[in-house]
Amino acid sequence: MKGCVLGLVLCAAPVAAQTVPQFVEETTPSGLSHQFTGEWEYMVGGGVAAFDCNGDALPDLALSGGTAPAALFVNQSGASGALAFAPVESGIEMEAVTGTYPIDIDSDGITDLVLLRVGENVVMRGLGDCRFERANEDWGFDGGDAWSTAFAAMWEAGESLPTLAIGNYINQREEAYPWGSCTDNWLHRPAGAAYAPPLPLTPSFCALSMLFTDWNGSGKKSLRVSNDREYYEGGQEQMWHLEPDAAPRLYTEAEGWKRLRIWGMGIASTDLDADGYPEFYLTSMADNKLQRLVTPAPDALPDYTDIAWAKGVTAHRPFMGEDLRPSTGWHALFADVNNDGRADLFVAKGNVWEMPDFAMADPNNLLVQGADGVFVEMADKAGVASTHAARGGAVVDLNGDGALDLVVVNRNGPVQVWRNAGAVGNWLAVALEQPGPNPTGIGSWVEVRTGEHLQRHEVIVGGGHVSGIWGPQHFGLGDAEQAEVRVIWPDGRVSDWRAVQANAVATLTPEG
Amino acid sequence: MDRRRVLGLGAAAGIAALLPSRVMAASDPVPVLTNWTKLTLQLVRHTATYSPPVAARAFGYLGVTGYEAVAACDGALTSLAGQLNGLTPLPRPGEGAHDMAAVLQAALSAGTAHFFANTGPSGQRALATMTRKLDEQVTAGLPEDVAARSRALGLAIAAHICGWADGDGGAVVANMGFPESYTAPDDPAAWVPTSLVRQQQAPLLPDWGTVRPFAMPAGDTCSLPPPPAYSEDPTSAFYAEAMEVYSATKALTEEQALIARFWSDDPMLSSTPPGHWIFVANDLIARRQLPLAVSVDVMARLGIAMADAFIGCWQAKTTYNLLRPVTYINRVIDKGWKPLLNTPPFPEYPSGHSTVSGAAATVLTAALGEGYAYEDFTHEREGLDGRPYASFWDAADEAGISRLYGGIHFRAAIEQGLTQGRCIGAYTVALRTLA
Repeated sequence: MKGCVLGLVLCAAPVAAQTVPQFVEETTPSGLSHQFTGEWEYMVGGGVAAFDCNGDALPDLALSGGTAPAALFVNQSGASGALAFAPVESGIEMEAVTGTYPIDIDSDGITDLVLLRVGENVVMRGLGDCRFERANEDWGFDGGDAWSTAFAAMWEAGESLPTLAIGNYINQREEAYPWGSCTDNWLHRPAGAAYAPPLPLTPSFCALSMLFTDWNGSGKKSLRVSNDREYYEGGQEQMWHLEPDAAPRLYTEAEGWKRLRIWGMGIASTDLDADGYPEFYLTSMADNKLQRLVTPAPDALPDYTDIAWAKGVTAHRPFMGEDLRPSTGWHALFADVNNDGRADLFVAKGNVWEMPDFAMADPNNLLVQGADGVFVEMADKAGVASTHAARGGAVVDLNGDGALDLVVVNRNGPVQVWRNAGAVGNWLAVALEQPGPNPTGIGSWVEVRTGEHLQRHEVIVGGGHVSGIWGPQHFGLGDAEQAEVRVIWPDGRVSDWRAVQANAVATLTPEG
Repeated sequence: MDRRRVLGLGAAAGIAALLPSRVMAASDPVPVLTNWTKLTLQLVRHTATYSPPVAARAFGYLGVTGYEAVAACDGALTSLAGQLNGLTPLPRPGEGAHDMAAVLQAALSAGTAHFFANTGPSGQRALATMTRKLDEQVTAGLPEDVAARSRALGLAIAAHICGWADGDGGAVVANMGFPESYTAPDDPAAWVPTSLVRQQQAPLLPDWGTVRPFAMPAGDTCSLPPPPAYSEDPTSAFYAEAMEVYSATKALTEEQALIARFWSDDPMLSSTPPGHWIFVANDLIARRQLPLAVSVDVMARLGIAMADAFIGCWQAKTTYNLLRPVTYINRVIDKGWKPLLNTPPFPEYPSGHSTVSGAAATVLTAALGEGYAYEDFTHEREGLDGRPYASFWDAADEAGISRLYGGIHFRAAIEQGLTQGRCIGAYTVALRTLA
């Protein structure tokens, strides 16, 4: 579709120039007081799950604690106002939690939690009112005994339960030679109303992030895994085929997969150029990667080129301060923080642990995308350039004002939260609902257009660094007061374009 | 050959005046050597500053440390003090009994901790674990005073060598060895960055040729003739060299591709080219039960020769500052061509792997013999089978040509690199060690 449509005011977005976001740190006044702590077994991990557990439409926060108990903070922020949180006893207060991901596993409309741990992983059934109970036994979920550090989920066709992928790290009991001791990742596939024993995803190479993605527009999901080269032998980045009723199998060089070996720590994905094929941002140490298909087209080979430098997102060293040693990147997420209609990129940064060849004062990045598609660093101007040792995080609207706020989990340092207080453009939140399993349409593509400007989000559970968000998809609209939205549902159905008003939550179902 | 018998032979060799009052060997010192070497190979791979020249330097100093620790207890071994540039006489045993394994353990644990002080948390944990376990092993059954005396001697030897190392000009590696900026000369033959990695837009360690060598007199001792003159003329020697790389990589056999990968030895993903040779030597020490004196001699000479090889090689690289095949081929022959291997971020001529392999083959051949057949298991844990070689030079030649198959070196860099390595290695062969 070309030009202005339906007589709506759609042609103004996106705004012409980058708007500098403005954040205000409200960690202390908000009451969000928590730390992810620990030594060797907790040098990675440190996740946050942002999701609404009490039905007030504001995201509450489940925070991993490492050697400290995990904690749940209920969001008590005033509408469009200052951020406020209160700790509540929820049932998740267990130690050794590295990561937290929200997902409605049993499709009962109440969000559940997956707790990744050093030791047994635990799935927590949501009971409502921010209370949870262990459900490993009820759901036949084998939590294993490993150092788990990555998670992704999707619903395979016809299944009532989601398929869960769990990434594992080093053998935590290996003292002298941890290298080469990567524990197998696991694929938990449902077998009827419960889970079958997990399938080992052999070979595994110390995963720190994974996500399911329809990378080639085929309608099929593949599992991308980002691996830490520090610990594998003979390893590389991976992508798995997942076919119904077939064992997972790796993409091979014969299929076009190119060997890439990085300190893979986090994956963010979005379709930056709205061509139907997502780009992938891979965090690492020193240079980070932004991958785009060499030949984006149907039947494309999984052959990616690195466009990080061209797009201004290598983020390879601190952009401010005296410490110019190489950076260490962790959680990454594309999100439009100034609502100008273009995805921006947040990257959590922090030294692994006393690694003197890498920056110790390593500020987080907030890379704001311009009209030319190039990103510009604005973390310092925006007020979010913390130099704590960051790990996980979430960019999410915490006070319901349509501007995305920021929460970051730091290792052996305070969790931090910032309120987005800048002037932002119009916005749209898109919530998906469908009956039966997968009630929020995980695996869908949501498309929003304003005039000729198209934005596309793949609805995923996974990626980043041990952190996840469960809630509506957020789109910036710039000056546009209306937009059109449609959904490509996991089963392939494509909804009609629907006109919606800006600055509201639009709920879409397969029926319209 | 029984190692303890060798110790006895050393002590009985008629050099009693040079021996400490009493030397014990309550436990076999060789596993101390091989275990620390194994860990060092891992630390090289997992410590960010450990590019091949830096790794070779550490192998050199740790090789000398192991040798001198054993030499302090075995009068049959001649100290390298006075033979290596700047190495002054080392601490010797005082009164009372010493245990050779305990001396070696203390020296290597302290030396390794010094050279890998900047390794990450897992490396530090491994260092502590190895130190604790080997300490327990070597002191089991030893009288406390002997253990303490032996430890003190080992630590003193290590401190002496670390102090010597700190003054060689190669101890501080900033930004993983990459200068903050680089301006390529206005010369089509000049090296230009070949990577999209932001950190690698300047050549790695451009001053490494000025680092103090171990055994050869200076960085330019084994200087090389210039490479073929740069030309884009299809009839030129330079064009022919580039076309050879291009043609070879376009028609690689499975075996040639395997050879390229077997010797790729990328930093941060392997123990680097010098680590490859150290692995081979350490493996031979264990598999063939080489005597202790031979073992420490081989490790010292190998480390010294390879450290010097990188200094000489880098001196020539900086002098000639030649562009890489990927730059020339993309410019002149085929703009879409890509090499099989990642092109290293520094000038082309000569080939570092060739120089270091030439030096390694020279000293290993001198130490263990011509026609010494063996199998190389360096990459077995990464899924590559062992490769048999008829001699060390058989392997070195293959390491050299692997860089052409990989598309990262011209033939002249390989052939001259091997020649340079042979020249540099000869200075190490000339060292006096075993009586």
